[in-house]
Amino acid sequence: MSQHPKAEQADIALLLEGTFPYVSGGVSSWINQIIRAFPEYTYAIIFLGSQSRDYPKFKYELPANVVHFEQHFLYDHLSANDLPRAREGDPATFRILRDIIETLRQGTADTASALEMLRAVTHEMRPGGKFPLDDFLYSEQSWELICDTYRSYCTDPSFVDYFWTVRIMFQPLWTLARVAHNMPAVRVLHSASTGYAGYLGALLHDARGVPLVLSEHGIYTKERQIDLLKSEWIRDNRNIFQRDPTELSYFRQMWIRLFEWLGRYCYAAANPIIALYETNRLRQVHDGADPARTFNIPNGIQLSRFSPMRAKRPAQVPPVLCLIGRVVPIKDVKTFIRAMRRVVNQVPDAEGWIAGPTDEDQAYAQECQNLVRSLGLENHVKFLGFQKVEDLMPRIGLVVLSSISEALPLVILEGYAAGVPTISTDVGSCRQLIEGLSEEDRALGPSGSVVGIADPQALADAAIALLADPEAWQRASTAAIARVERYYTDTMMFESYRQVYRKALQGSASATATETH
Amino acid sequence: MLNSKLGLWAILVELGAWAGPALLDGNSETALASYLVTHAVASVLLALFTLPVLAAEQTRPRLPMIGLMAVCSYVVPVVGFMGVLIGTLVLRFYRASHHEDDFKSLQLPEFDLHQRMQSGFRQTGLRAVLSNSEVPTPSRMRAMVALQHISGRISSPLLRNVLNDASEDLRLLAYGMLDSLERNISRAIDKELDILQKARETEGQDALGPVGIQAAEKLSALYWELVYQNLAQGDMRDHAIRESLRYCEMVLAQQPHMAQHTMRRGVLLHACGRLPEAAEAYALAEQQGLPATRVLPYLAELSFEQRDFDKTRQLMQQLDEWSALPKLRPVIDYWSAR
Repeated sequence: MSQHPKAEQADIALLLEGTFPYVSGGVSSWINQIIRAFPEYTYAIIFLGSQSRDYPKFKYELPANVVHFEQHFLYDHLSANDLPRAREGDPATFRILRDIIETLRQGTADTASALEMLRAVTHEMRPGGKFPLDDFLYSEQSWELICDTYRSYCTDPSFVDYFWTVRIMFQPLWTLARVAHNMPAVRVLHSASTGYAGYLGALLHDARGVPLVLSEHGIYTKERQIDLLKSEWIRDNRNIFQRDPTELSYFRQMWIRLFEWLGRYCYAAANPIIALYETNRLRQVHDGADPARTFNIPNGIQLSRFSPMRAKRPAQVPPVLCLIGRVVPIKDVKTFIRAMRRVVNQVPDAEGWIAGPTDEDQAYAQECQNLVRSLGLENHVKFLGFQKVEDLMPRIGLVVLSSISEALPLVILEGYAAGVPTISTDVGSCRQLIEGLSEEDRALGPSGSVVGIADPQALADAAIALLADPEAWQRASTAAIARVERYYTDTMMFESYRQVYRKALQGSASATATETH
Repeated sequence: MLNSKLGLWAILVELGAWAGPALLDGNSETALASYLVTHAVASVLLALFTLPVLAAEQTRPRLPMIGLMAVCSYVVPVVGFMGVLIGTLVLRFYRASHHEDDFKSLQLPEFDLHQRMQSGFRQTGLRAVLSNSEVPTPSRMRAMVALQHISGRISSPLLRNVLNDASEDLRLLAYGMLDSLERNISRAIDKELDILQKARETEGQDALGPVGIQAAEKLSALYWELVYQNLAQGDMRDHAIRESLRYCEMVLAQQPHMAQHTMRRGVLLHACGRLPEAAEAYALAEQQGLPATRVLPYLAELSFEQRDFDKTRQLMQQLDEWSALPKLRPVIDYWSAR
C-alpha cells in the first residue's frame, strides 16, 4: 500500500509527466534541485505516467518539503469492469463537439477562438459535467459522431482502427479532468512540460484561477512529433493505390495534432513560459506561446560539489572518454560506441565508459552491448551502470555527449566544474555551452568540440585531437572552468526562480482577494 | 434452436381447442370460452415454436414478432395457424437468398478520390526539396516521409545529408529513419551471431557444420548490406567489410566451388583495396560458372582503378556484346566510343 505523503494544501503543485521521482536524468535532477532549493515552500507533486508497470520504483527520495504526492497512470484502466448501459449522450455537448471539429478542419477560427471552444468542452468533462466519460465511450451520440467523422475525414480505410484510436487517444483527458477536480488546494501550479502535465495545469488554471508556471527543458510537442513520425505501432492500412508516400498516415496525423493542441492549450494558460535557452524559447513562440510571457533561465550547478575534484586529477590526462547518461535511444549511445572503434584504432589504450542506468530501455541497452561485441570492443568499452559523478570526474579525460536531442545538459556543466572538457553533438544548447554565447563568453575560448549528430568519425576525431594534445586539453579545461563559474551556477538559477515564484504567489494572492471581494 | 416439443404441444393444444366444444356442449358459452382460451395458448406456442426458424435479424424486436405471429394464428382459425407456419418457412428461405444477393464483396476502387483528397506533394524532386533550406519545413518533412518507401541504398545518403540540416525536426527524423534501417540489420546480425555461436558449440569449433555455414553465409550478407546501403561510414565501413569478408571466407573454406560466394569475396577484396586478389577471385567466379555479365563490370572497374585503360576498354567492349545491362548502357557506349 502506498506510503506517499498526503496533504489538504500546499504552496506549489509540481505537475510532472514521466520524470521525477521515478526516472533519473537531467530534468529529474533539476526538479530535485529546485524543490530542495526552496525549503520555505511546500510542494504537492502530481506525477503522470503511461502505465504503472513502467515506473516500478522511485529513483529519488522525496525532499522533506514535498507534503503531498499522488500518481496517475493514464493507460492503466482502459477496459470497463461492467457491461455498459445504453445511453443517449447530451445532444447540446455533441453539437459543440461537431462545431469544434468542423472549425478545426476548415481552419476558419483563430487559435484563441478555437481554444475558447475547447475550454467549453473540457469544462463539461469535469466530474458532474454534461460530458462524462461514459457518454464519450458508450453513447449513441458519440457513436454517430465517430461514424460521421470517419466517413467525412478519415483517409485510412479501417474503421475499427479509427474507432479504437479515437477512444484511446481521448480517454486520458477524462482522467486528467478527475485529477484536476480532486487535487489539493495550491497557490501556484508549476509544470515541467506541456503535453498531459501542461494540459492538467491549464485545466486547473481555468477551473481555479491559480497561476501556471511552465518550465520546459526540451520542447515536448517537438519530441512527441519525432517519436510519432518514426513509431511503428501506429497503423497505416492504406493500400498501394490509396497511399501517397508524402502523406502521413491519418492516425499518425491525429496523434500529432492532439499533442499540438495540448501544447497550445497549455501555452494559452501559462505565464511565465520559461525555456532553458534562446532556440527553445523561439520554438515555444512558434508553437503558440505569447512572446511577452516567454524568457530563458539556464540551468546551473552547485560549484562547491565539483570544484574539489580538480585537485584529484592525475598529471597526465587519462585516455578515457565517458558518456554520462541513461542508456536510452535519445542519447545515441551507439554512435559513442562506433566512435570508440575509431578512437581505439588510433589510441590503443583508450577506454570508453558508459555511466548510467541500463534498466530504462533494456532492449536498447542489449543492442548497445551487442554492438560492443560485434565491433570487438569488449576490452575497451565498459557499461558502469549508475555512478556518482564525483567519483568519475577525476578518472576521465573527456565528457562525451552523443545525444540526438538535449536541452542544456547538466552533465556538461558538472564536467566543467571538475575541469573536464566536453565533446558533444550539436544539439540543444551544447554549442552555446562549448563555444560560448555572448562575445565575452566566446572570448573565454572553446571548452571542447561540437560535432554533427550520428557522425562517429567526427566524434572520434574531435576526441583524439584533444586527448593527443595536452596543451589544447588544458586550454579547453581552463575555459570550461571559467565558463561554468561565470554563467552557469545554481545560485543564479535559484535567484531567477525565486523571483518567478514570488511573482506567481503574489498573482495567486491577488486572484484569491478578488474572488473573496 | 428449434424446439419440437413446443410444436407438438401447439398442434395438440389446437386440436384440443377444436375438440373442447365437441366434448362439452357445442353451443354453450363455456365451450366458446374454452375454445378461445385453448386456441390462444396454441397460437402462442406456435409463435414460440416458429420463431427460431427465422434468421436472427428477422426475429427482432422479439416480443412484437411473437405477438404478430400469435395474433395472426389466433384471429384466423386454421388458415392463420397454417399461414404462420408457411409464412415463416417462406420468409426464412426467400429472405435469406435475397440477403446474399444484396451484399456482394467488392474490391476497393483503385483510385479513390476521397482517400486521396489531402495529397499535394508529389514524389518528384525529393533530393532538391530536401537539400533546399528555403523550402518550408513541413514540405521537407513530407519529403522525408516519402523516403521511407525508397530503398536504403538511395535514401541513406540523402538522410545523412539532412543530419546536418538547420532544422532540428528534420535532423531528428532523418536520424530516426537511418537508425531504424541500421537497427534492422544489426538485430539480424546479433541473431545470426548467436546461431553461429551455438552451432560452433554443437557442430564443433574447427569446421562449420550446415547450421554454422548458413549463419556465416547470412552474416557475410548482412555485413555487406550495411556497406551496400551506405549505413556504415569510415572505420565502421572498413570493419563491416572485414567482417563480411571473414564470414565469406569461412563459408568458402567449406564450399569452395560456390560461384556466388567467390564473387562476393572478390567484391569485398576489391572494397578492401586488395586489387590483385580481387581480380583472381573474379576470374575464379567466372570459371565456376557465373555469367560474364555479372563479372565483367567489376573487372572493368578494377582495371580502371589500376589505371589500365586499354584493358578497361577491352572489357567494356566485351560487355557491349551482351544486350542486357540497360543501366550500364551509357557507360558501355562511352567506352565503346560510340
